[in-house]
Amino acid sequence: MIRLRDVTKVYEGGTVAVRDVNLDIQKGEFVFLVGPSGSGKSTLIRLLLRQDTVTRGVIWVAGKDITQLPAWKIPFLRRSVGTVFQDFKLLPNKTVGENVSFALEVLGRPRSVVGPQVKQVLELVGLNDKGDRYPRQLSGGEQQRVSIARAFVNRPPILLCDEPTGNLDPATSVGIMRLLDRINRSGATVVMATHDHAIVDAMQRRVVQLDNSRVIRDEMAGRYETGEIPFQNGGRHNGDGAEE
Amino acid sequence: MNRLGFLAREALINLRRNLLVVLGAVLAVFISLSLAFGALVVNELLRINTLAWQDGTHIIAFLYDEGQDGVATGAHAALLDEVSGWQEVANVRYFDKAAAWAEYQEMFADRPEQLNIDPSVLPASIRIELTDIDLYQDVQFRLASQSQLIRRVATFGEQIEQLSSLSTVLNLLGLGLALVLGASAVILIANTIRMAIYARRDEVSIMKLVGASNWFIRVPFILEGMIEGLIGAGLAVATVWVAFRNLRTIGDSIEIVSFGIPNRFFLTWGIVILLFGAAAGVLGSVLGLSRYLRDEDGGRPVMVDRRVLEPT
Repeated sequence: MIRLRDVTKVYEGGTVAVRDVNLDIQKGEFVFLVGPSGSGKSTLIRLLLRQDTVTRGVIWVAGKDITQLPAWKIPFLRRSVGTVFQDFKLLPNKTVGENVSFALEVLGRPRSVVGPQVKQVLELVGLNDKGDRYPRQLSGGEQQRVSIARAFVNRPPILLCDEPTGNLDPATSVGIMRLLDRINRSGATVVMATHDHAIVDAMQRRVVQLDNSRVIRDEMAGRYETGEIPFQNGGRHNGDGAEE
Repeated sequence: MNRLGFLAREALINLRRNLLVVLGAVLAVFISLSLAFGALVVNELLRINTLAWQDGTHIIAFLYDEGQDGVATGAHAALLDEVSGWQEVANVRYFDKAAAWAEYQEMFADRPEQLNIDPSVLPASIRIELTDIDLYQDVQFRLASQSQLIRRVATFGEQIEQLSSLSTVLNLLGLGLALVLGASAVILIANTIRMAIYARRDEVSIMKLVGASNWFIRVPFILEGMIEGLIGAGLAVATVWVAFRNLRTIGDSIEIVSFGIPNRFFLTWGIVILLFGAAAGVLGSVLGLSRYLRDEDGGRPVMVDRRVLEPT
C-alpha cells in the first residue's frame, strides 16, 4: 500500500529531515511512527501527502509513484488518503456536519449521497446528535472525532494521523484510539505518528522508530521503547505535544 | 451543476462572513476606477472642446479677379467645385469681392480712417474648413500649384499646429492618467484580495488537505473578486455619471466650455470600466492565491548542496 525507497528530505538551509528511509506498509496494517521531536515523523507524513517533495528517493502510494506526480494530480492522491492532525484543522465557520460534508462536496458528490454518508460517519464517531454544532462548541476529543469523521467519510484506503491524541487527555485519547482501531479493522491502512507511550504499548501494533532522521527500528507488535535499541539522545518522550 | 451551485454558495457565504475586507476591496476598486473613469471623462471634455476651438476657417485662398490677369470668367466657380471635391476639405465657401468688403468694413468698424479705400482692391477668396487640421500643409501645397488663379494662400498654420499639439498632449495626459489609475486599481484589488486570502489561509490549506483541486479552491475566491470588482466598478461608473450630469447642469451657463459628451461615450466606457473591474477582481484573486496553492503542494524544489546527501 505504501512503499518508501531511499527517501531523503533536505529542507532549505540544509536541514536533513529524513535520510535514506526504506519502508513497506501493507494494506490494512496499523503502523506507529515513534521517535523524539525533530526525528522526521511529521516530515514523513507530509511527504506521503505530497505537502513536501522528496529530495531523493521514491514513494509509492497505492501503486503510484507520488514523487513524480504532476501538481494537478495531487488532489487525487489526497482523496485516497484521509488525514488527522493534532490541531484538528476544522473550519471554525462551518458546523460539524458542514465540516464533514465539505470533504465530499469538494469531490463533487451529489447532495443525495452527501447527506446519508455524513450521517453514517457521524454515527460511527458518536457525534450524530451534534451535527449542527460549531467546532468551538465541542470538547477537544469531540473535535478530533469530527476530524476523523471528515478524514474517513470518503472511505479512503489510507489514514495518516499526525499526533491525533497530542492535545487530548488520556481517557479521551483511548476513545480516539478505539475509533482508529475500528477504522483499521474495516480494512483501512492507518499510519500514526505519536509520542504517546501508553497508547503504543497498549495497542501492540507495528512500530517504526525514527531517530536523527533515520529509521532505527521496525518491529511488529512492538512497544514505544525497547531495551535493545536505546534512544541515542537519552531524552524523555512523554507526549509533550510539540512536533517538528 | 451541483458543484457549481456549491462553489457559488461558498463565494456568497464568504462575502457575507468577510464583510469588512469585502468593503475594503470594493472601496479600493471604487476609488481607483472613479478616478480613472473621471480622467477619461475629463479627457473627452478636453477633446471635444479643443475640437470646437478648431472649428471654422483653416485656410483662405485669395484669388485674382476674373477677366483680369488672364483669369477666365467662371474660373472661381470651377476652382470652388474642384476644391470642394478634395478629401481633406470638409467645407468650402466662396467670398466674392462684395462679401470681402463687407467683412473689411466689419473688421475696421471702429477705425473709420481704414475704411477710406477702394473696395475693388479687396480680392475674392475661398475659405476652406479641413476635415483634419493636420492636413493643412497638403491643401496649402495643392492650392499653391494653381498660381495663375490664386494670388496668395493664408493658413493658420502656427496656431493650428499649436492647437493640434496641445490637443495631443492633453489626450496623452488624460490617457496616461487613466492607465496609471487603472493599474493602481489592479494592484489595490490584488493586495486587498491577498489580505482576504491570507486571513483564510488555514481554510485553503484544509481544502487542499481533503483533496480539493486548485480550480475548486480558486473558483469561490475568483467569484468573490469578480463580484467585488463589479460592485466597485458599478459604483464608480454611477458616481462619475451623476457627477458629470450635475456638472453639465451647472456648466450650461458657461458658454465657452462645451459639455456635449454623448451618452454613447458613457455607455461604452461604462461597460469597459465594469469589465475592467471584474477582470481586475479575477486577476487579483488569481495572483493572491497562486503562492498559497503552490506552497501546499510542496512549493518549488529546494536546491541542495550535494555534500548533504552523501552517506554519513
